[in-house]
Amino acid sequence: MENLILAAYILPSVLLGGILLGMRLFRGSMSPGILAGFSLGHGLWHLGLSLWVLLVLPLPHYFMESRYLFVDQLGIFQVLIASVVFILAALYSRGYVSHLLSNKELDIENLPVFYIGFNLLLSVITFAFFSNNLALFWLFLELSTLFSALLIATLNARDNLVAALKYIFIASTAMIFAFIGLIILFSLTRQAGSPGTLNWDELASLAPLLSPSVLGLSALLILTGLLAKSGLVPLHNWLPAAYAKAPSVVTALMSATVLNIGIVGILRLSALLRQSQIGETFSNVLVGFGILSIGVAAFSMLSRRNLKKLVGFSSIEHMGIMLLAIGIGTPLAVFWMLFHTLAHSLVKSGLFFSAGIIRRQYGSDRFDRIFDIFRLQPVAAWGVIMGSAAIVGLPMFPVFLSELNILIQLGGVSVWLVLMVLFFLLLVASSFAIFLLKAFTRSEKNTDRPVFRTPLSMKLPIYIIMAGVVFLGVCQPQMLADFLNQIVKGLGF
Amino acid sequence: MLENIPLNDILKILLVLVLVTSSLVLWQRSLTSLFKTYALQSLLVALVAMVFFINDGHLTLLFIALLTLFGKVFLIPRILNRILLQMNIRRDLEFRFLYPVSSLIVSILLIFGVYQVFSNLMGEVMPDRLFFLGAVIGVSMALMGMMVIFSRKKMLTKIVGYLSMENGAILFGLFVAELPFILEILVLIDLVILVLLVTVLAFGIDSTIEDFHPRFTPLGEWFKKK
Amino acid sequence: MSWNLVLYGFINTALALLVSPLFISLIKKVKAYAQGRVGPPILQTYYQLYKLFKKERVYSYQTSFIIRLTPYLSLAFMMVASLSVPLVFIPAADPGLGNIILFLYLMVMSRFFMALSGLDAGSSFGGMGSSREMTLSAIIEPVIIIVFGALAYVLQTTSLFDMFGQVRENSFLSNPSLILTGISLFIILIVETSRIPVDNPETHLELTMIHEAMTLEYSGPDLALIELSHALKQTLLMGVLLNIVAPWGLASEPAAGGIAVAFLAFVIKGSLLAVGVGIFESLMAKFRLFRVPGLFMLAFFFSFITVIFKFLA
Repeated sequence: MENLILAAYILPSVLLGGILLGMRLFRGSMSPGILAGFSLGHGLWHLGLSLWVLLVLPLPHYFMESRYLFVDQLGIFQVLIASVVFILAALYSRGYVSHLLSNKELDIENLPVFYIGFNLLLSVITFAFFSNNLALFWLFLELSTLFSALLIATLNARDNLVAALKYIFIASTAMIFAFIGLIILFSLTRQAGSPGTLNWDELASLAPLLSPSVLGLSALLILTGLLAKSGLVPLHNWLPAAYAKAPSVVTALMSATVLNIGIVGILRLSALLRQSQIGETFSNVLVGFGILSIGVAAFSMLSRRNLKKLVGFSSIEHMGIMLLAIGIGTPLAVFWMLFHTLAHSLVKSGLFFSAGIIRRQYGSDRFDRIFDIFRLQPVAAWGVIMGSAAIVGLPMFPVFLSELNILIQLGGVSVWLVLMVLFFLLLVASSFAIFLLKAFTRSEKNTDRPVFRTPLSMKLPIYIIMAGVVFLGVCQPQMLADFLNQIVKGLGF
Repeated sequence: MLENIPLNDILKILLVLVLVTSSLVLWQRSLTSLFKTYALQSLLVALVAMVFFINDGHLTLLFIALLTLFGKVFLIPRILNRILLQMNIRRDLEFRFLYPVSSLIVSILLIFGVYQVFSNLMGEVMPDRLFFLGAVIGVSMALMGMMVIFSRKKMLTKIVGYLSMENGAILFGLFVAELPFILEILVLIDLVILVLLVTVLAFGIDSTIEDFHPRFTPLGEWFKKK
Repeated sequence: MSWNLVLYGFINTALALLVSPLFISLIKKVKAYAQGRVGPPILQTYYQLYKLFKKERVYSYQTSFIIRLTPYLSLAFMMVASLSVPLVFIPAADPGLGNIILFLYLMVMSRFFMALSGLDAGSSFGGMGSSREMTLSAIIEPVIIIVFGALAYVLQTTSLFDMFGQVRENSFLSNPSLILTGISLFIILIVETSRIPVDNPETHLELTMIHEAMTLEYSGPDLALIELSHALKQTLLMGVLLNIVAPWGLASEPAAGGIAVAFLAFVIKGSLLAVGVGIFESLMAKFRLFRVPGLFMLAFFFSFITVIFKFLA
């Protein structure tokens, strides 16, 4: 019966693949509207299914004898976030993709490939969160790399191909080292007496028995792969280029979901290692990498001229903050890190949706091409302004709460680190402010620039996100708090 | 050690040859011979899996050997050669950072480094010398493959470098511990998809054809196009 | 001076001199077949040497005693070097005689005098050949030392006599790192005997010559001696390679039957290796001069790996 749940999750993508293959064979074609609608339906189906699983099924729940797949609160939480973002992205894609097609930036022949990749990406993300077995998790991470790269590359431009290939190579190379780490871990568990397992739950119980130094080596190797997938320093080089060149709807999806897989993987890994003797060192390593990411991102943002690259570096910075929280390791830190994943995903996708509108209007993301924005694209302008305020951590927005609390927890470790991170956050805020000032205060004499009529399907997601973000920032429902507390306890913090 | 002494020696010979192919991948300039070297390397890895199968009798190993043989010795080089025919390049003449001489020197340092790290850490996990040797060679191959990716310009060479890394990881896995069968299959499928995707994308980058637009042909079209 | 050593000296040197021209022609024949020609008969080099001995010498007016002395010196050094490499049986002699470094530097002495003689006539081609040859030699020498060093480390001795004796007991099947050394030795063979891809031994264009350019001024018996010493060098290097990697047939004492078998074995193995060299030459084109160090680097890499293998397994 429960295997039906798994089938239900993958059904829409398979259906879409079948339909499109059939159309290809019989020389039919589908309009972007229908495809976007299908994706929207897929997202809604996904959301409904996940809510049902959350409310009806006793969690954690394991599928199949081998227990390779499971659903637990953390997984379903992330899948819910992914579904919501996907729904918004599918809605947004209707208008966005139509404009891409009419602008000849996307070939009509590539449209089915785009949507297959789009939908399959959601399925892959879901299954990655549902993986109990580390090797299966690894596999779905690799598949997510491939599908996101496919989506980046669907536009006919050499830059896209270069960015996509860079992404694939950096991510996959790091994942091979993670694979080596997995194998070492597997053989370690065999040594400790069990017949060899890579399931998270069994690993958690075996962790205290495993030899610390070798466990540390294996964890370091696995961490390498996950760092690359989350876009953390030093393996972050692919991120700005990929985010800038990809279509905005893809960037929104990627930054809100794919990065989360990586960071959640690091969370689970850290929870695992806390049970062993090497937990201390590992947490310190995480804190180090986190602060390094925040620092590098903050300094790189200062001279950014391209809006999407700016926001991309902001993603790196926030992943750094989350990594920092995981490294600190107190229950409160992890609680707020989980909250941060929700807040970050929403705000980031909102920012990228607005950036997409700007791109459609001006044909470029650079600040010196943006003129008269309040007259031409007010929704996008306010979207970017509110999004920047939110992402930087102003009060009334949820990121403020999570950053504040994480910093408080960091204070428990060292005050100097708090000061350093505060300095970096200040740099980030200034970068955003400078960019907005430079871009949004320009106007030109020539007033017959064609206005891009933003369809409602592109404005609606931004409205929804704005409302949701303000709601989350002002009042946090107790249900959410309880749920997150359950997750923190379940992980063992 | 394996029970049979001759098998032990065969394993050592195979490992030696694998290392030779790995350094040749680093060194070569002609793309066709690069693909052949990769095919040879995969063949050697398949033979190693076969030797383990003869020794242990786990069916998983036999399947890994056959899968490697079919997928990496025949299928992937064929795909690569087909792509090469469609492009107008024959030799990878540009080295970006590391020329063959310095690449080989760096490899020497890498192998030595891996040996140091492993001998300090892996005492408990590695019961005997032969497995230790295999593990060191596996990781060294992965590192040398990574060097190929970062020191060459042409995409096809980078792909072969990545594939060589994968071979190294599998070799490491064979010597240290094999994963359950289903996971190996999935890993191989993932590899094939990766190669397909990257070759299709690479077609746009490496091609010396001036006219660029439109470069990306959807996967279906690519299979039909000859 | 035991009669064992004397016998060994005679037999080894005589055998080496006897088969060297055979191997040279064999390589030429294989290359000819690869090019679609029939090629010269197998015994052609013997006929060539015989013909050259009958001709007269001609020296340029500008030459000194070097050019008159070098052919004899070159051949003499090679013949002494041939004492270091047991081809049919291993003598019961002082291992120092078979010291591998001694062997290397006897060959280098011969090359040194060749380079000098190239300069002697004052022609530009000779000088060019000498400078190129010395450049390559300067680069290959450290690599050869490393390769020989790795060999010595693996087999725990610097004497070729002991090395061959050890390898006779257990072939490379039990010491797989010797395969790597074999490949390095093969690369050294190609370089030292000036074969493609390092140098083209059959070119008639002076600007593409490296080794041949030094021998342009010789004629008659001098040329024959030079050619013979070159062929002898090739045979000796082939002998080192063969007896390290495939020592089957090598006798350990001078019994008549053993010697005959060993002689036959060496000729067969040598012929196979010669055919291999010919095929290898036909597969490649000559490298640009600056790419040649890359080839050496491979040899260096392999010998290093050999040492690592000794550590690891």
